[in-house]
Amino acid sequence: MDRPIVAVRGVEKSFGTFRALKGVSLDVHAGEVVCIIGASGSGKTTLLRCINQLVAIDRGAIWLDGELAGFRRSGDKLYPLTEQEIARQRLKTAMVFQRFNLFPHMTALENIIEGPVQVLKRKRSEVIEEARALLERVGLAAKADAYPASLSGGQQQRIAIARALAMQPMLILFDEPTSALDPELVGEVLAVMKELARSGMTMLVVTHELGFAREVADRVIFMDHGGIVESGPADSVLSRPQEARTRAFLSAVLT
Amino acid sequence: MSSAAARDGELSDALPDISGLRVVRRFPWERWLTASVIVALLALIVRAFATGQIAWSVVGRFLVAPQILSGILNTIVMAVLAMAIGIVLGVIVAIMRMSPNPVLRTTAVGYAWLFRGLPVILQLLLWFNLALIFPTVTIPGIYSGRMVDVMTPFLSALLGLGINQGAYTSEVVRAGLISVDAGQYEAAKSIGMTGLVALKRIILPQAMKVVIPPLGNEFIGMIKLTSLASVVQYSEVLYSASSIYYANNRVIELLTVAGIWYLVVVTVLTPLQMLLERYFARGVAVHR
Amino acid sequence: MTKSLRSTLAIAGLVLFATPLQAGQLPDAIQKSGTLHLSINATYPPLDFKDPDTNKIVGFDVDLADALVAKLGLKIEWTDVPFAQLIPALTTGRTDFIWSGISDTPARQETMDFVDYLKTGPQFYTLTSSAYEKPEDLCGKKVGSIRSTQYPDLMRAWSAQHCEGAGRPAMDVVTGENSPDVRTQLKQGRIDGAVQGSETIPYISKQEGGVFKMLGSPIAPFYYGIAFRKEDKAFRDLIADTLEGLIKDGTYKKILDKWELSTIGVTTLTINTQPR
Repeated sequence: MDRPIVAVRGVEKSFGTFRALKGVSLDVHAGEVVCIIGASGSGKTTLLRCINQLVAIDRGAIWLDGELAGFRRSGDKLYPLTEQEIARQRLKTAMVFQRFNLFPHMTALENIIEGPVQVLKRKRSEVIEEARALLERVGLAAKADAYPASLSGGQQQRIAIARALAMQPMLILFDEPTSALDPELVGEVLAVMKELARSGMTMLVVTHELGFAREVADRVIFMDHGGIVESGPADSVLSRPQEARTRAFLSAVLT
Repeated sequence: MSSAAARDGELSDALPDISGLRVVRRFPWERWLTASVIVALLALIVRAFATGQIAWSVVGRFLVAPQILSGILNTIVMAVLAMAIGIVLGVIVAIMRMSPNPVLRTTAVGYAWLFRGLPVILQLLLWFNLALIFPTVTIPGIYSGRMVDVMTPFLSALLGLGINQGAYTSEVVRAGLISVDAGQYEAAKSIGMTGLVALKRIILPQAMKVVIPPLGNEFIGMIKLTSLASVVQYSEVLYSASSIYYANNRVIELLTVAGIWYLVVVTVLTPLQMLLERYFARGVAVHR
Repeated sequence: MTKSLRSTLAIAGLVLFATPLQAGQLPDAIQKSGTLHLSINATYPPLDFKDPDTNKIVGFDVDLADALVAKLGLKIEWTDVPFAQLIPALTTGRTDFIWSGISDTPARQETMDFVDYLKTGPQFYTLTSSAYEKPEDLCGKKVGSIRSTQYPDLMRAWSAQHCEGAGRPAMDVVTGENSPDVRTQLKQGRIDGAVQGSETIPYISKQEGGVFKMLGSPIAPFYYGIAFRKEDKAFRDLIADTLEGLIKDGTYKKILDKWELSTIGVTTLTINTQPR
C-alpha cells in the first residue's frame, strides 16, 4: 500500500472541558476524494483544522506525506516545530473556508498570486499567467480585477478555490464550502469542485451536500460526537449505512 | 365587508380617505427660544472680548511677526514628526503585545502603562534633564558625547511627545488588529504565511482602515500638545508668543495671537481628517 | 501728670491723630476688609519662595511686607502665581499691588508706578568647580538665564560690548523656564554660566554648600520695586511713607541681614527711580 497523503492516528483534541475529537484515525490517499459528514459539533471542522495545524492536537499524530506534523522526532522525544517550520508544512495542504476569507483589500487576481509570490517567492509574471489560467478554470476570467466586495458568494468561493490551487498543494481541505451560500449559487461551486475531483486532485471535504458526496466522493466518513462512526465507499455509507447513528443522521437530513 | 372579500385581498372601506388633506406645520417655539438664548450669550461674549482690555492692534501687529510664523512652523514640524514616531512605535508595540513570547508581551504592556501613566510635561522634563542620570551617551564604536549636547530642546520634545504618543497609538492599533476577522489570519496561515508576513501583508492593511481615522483625531490633539514643549525651550508658537510678551507685557494679546494660529491650523486639518475617515470607510461599508 | 502718663497720652494722641490721615489714603475695599490680597511668584529665593518643610510662602519680600502692613494694622493674603501672571493680576485688580521681586523698568513705568525697595542687578555666576574667574571668560560660551526676565537682553547687550566689542566670540545666550531650571542646566553642563539677580546667588549657593560662585559685579544695576496701578497714587504714597518709616527705625536693615542682602538695600526711597 502506498503512503497516504494524510495519515491521522488517534488524534484527540479538547477545548477546555469540551472534547471535540476523541481519538480519530483515518488515511487519505493521493487522488482520493473523501467526504466527511455529520452533525454540528461532531468534530469534522476541528479535524480539518488539526490537519493543517490551525489547531494543535492534544494527543495522537498526523502525518503529511510521511512527515510528522508539528513535531520533530528525535529518538523517543518529540520537539515542537518552530512557527516557520509549521508554515512550511502548511504548504502541502491548502484550505477552502466556509466563509471564503478572501483578502478584501486585494483584487481576485491579487488574492490568487499572493501566496505564490510572497510565500513561495516565485516570479510574479509567471504566477500571474498561471493565476489567469486558474481564473479561467473556475469560470471567472472576467473578474480578475474585481474586489471581493463586488462579487457574489459563489464567485468569491470559486476565487478561494483558485487561490488554494495556486499553491499547488498535495491536498485541498474544504470546510463546508457551500454552507454559507445562497441556494442558487451552490451549484456553480460544486461544479468547480467536481471538475477538480475529475482532474485527480486529492480532496478532503466536510459537507452537507450529500448529492455531491454520492456523485463525486470515493469514500464517505460519518462523524458523531468527536469520533468516526462509519467509513466506507460513498455508495455504501449513503445508501446502505450499517450503523444506527448513521441511519438516524441520514434520515434526518434527507427529509 | 364580507370575510370572503377580505380573503381575496380587497381593502376595507370603513376608514376615511384623508389623501386630500394638507399638513399644517407647527411653529417651532422651543427651537427659536433656545436659539435666541444661545445667540444672546454669544453676543455678550463677543462684546466682552471686543470691549475688554485687549489691544487688538497689537494682536494684528504680531499675527504675522517672523517669530510667530517660524513658531507655528515649528509647531507643525514637531507635531508631524512626533506623530510619525508615535505611529511607528504604536504599530511595533501593538504587534509585540500580540506575540506568543511572554517577555515581548509584558514589555508592551509595561510601555503602555508607563507612558500613559506619566503626565506629558513630566516626560518632557525628564528627557531634557536626562543628563542628571546619564551624563554621557556612548554608542560603542560610533559615537560618544555629552548627553546635554545630544538632548537638545528639539530632541527632548521629539522623544517626549513621540514616545508618549506611541503608548496611546499602540492601543488604537491593537484594537484595529483585533477588529480584523479571525478568518483572515487563518486564510493567511493556510497559504503558508508566518505570523509576521501575515501581519504585514494581510492584517495590518485591513486594520489601518479602522486605525487611521482615530489617528487623524490624535494628530489634531498633538498639534496642541506641542505647546508643552515650550518648557524645554523648544521654540514652537506658544514659546515664541510668550517670549514676546515677556518683553512687552502684552500677555493677553500674544496669547490671542497664538490661539488664533492654533485655531487656523486645526480648522484646516479637521475637514482633511473627515476626508480621511470617509476614504477609509469606503472599503469597510457593507456592499452585499 | 507723670512722665509715663504724658508719653502715653502723647503716643495715643499721635495714633488717634495719625490714623484718620492714613485711613484716608487706603482704598475703601481694603480699609473695610482689613486685608491686602497680593499675588506673588514664589519661585525666587531669597525674595519669594515656598518653605519646603511647611509649604508656606516666605522670603525677604514677605518679611518686609509683613512688617509694613503691621504698621497699617492690615493682614496680607498671598496667592502664588506664575511670574507672567503678576502684571495681568495688577491690571485686572486681582492683586492690590505687586510685591514679588519685579524690576522697575522704563517700559513697565508706562503702565505702573514703582516704590523701589532693593537696588540690585543681574550677576554672572557659575559652578565653584569651574575654571572661570571673570565674566569675560564666558565669552563664546553658553550662558543661561530665565526667559521671562530682562536678563537675556541685558546679557546680549553686555556681550556685544565686552565680548564682540573686545574681539572675543559672542556669548551664546540660552534660556530656561525659571531659576531652578537654569541651575539644573548649569549643573548638567548644558550651560557654562548663568545670570540671575545678585540677590539670589549667595542664598542659593549657601543652601547647596557653596556650589556657585559669582563672577565680577552686577552688569546693569536696577531696582526692585513694589508696583502700583497708575491711578492708585494715594495708596502708593502711603506705602512709600510706611516703608520709609521701616528704613528709619532699622526694621528694614534687620530683615536685609536676615536674608544675606545687606549689600543691596536702598538708603533713600525712590519712586520710579526718582527721589521723592
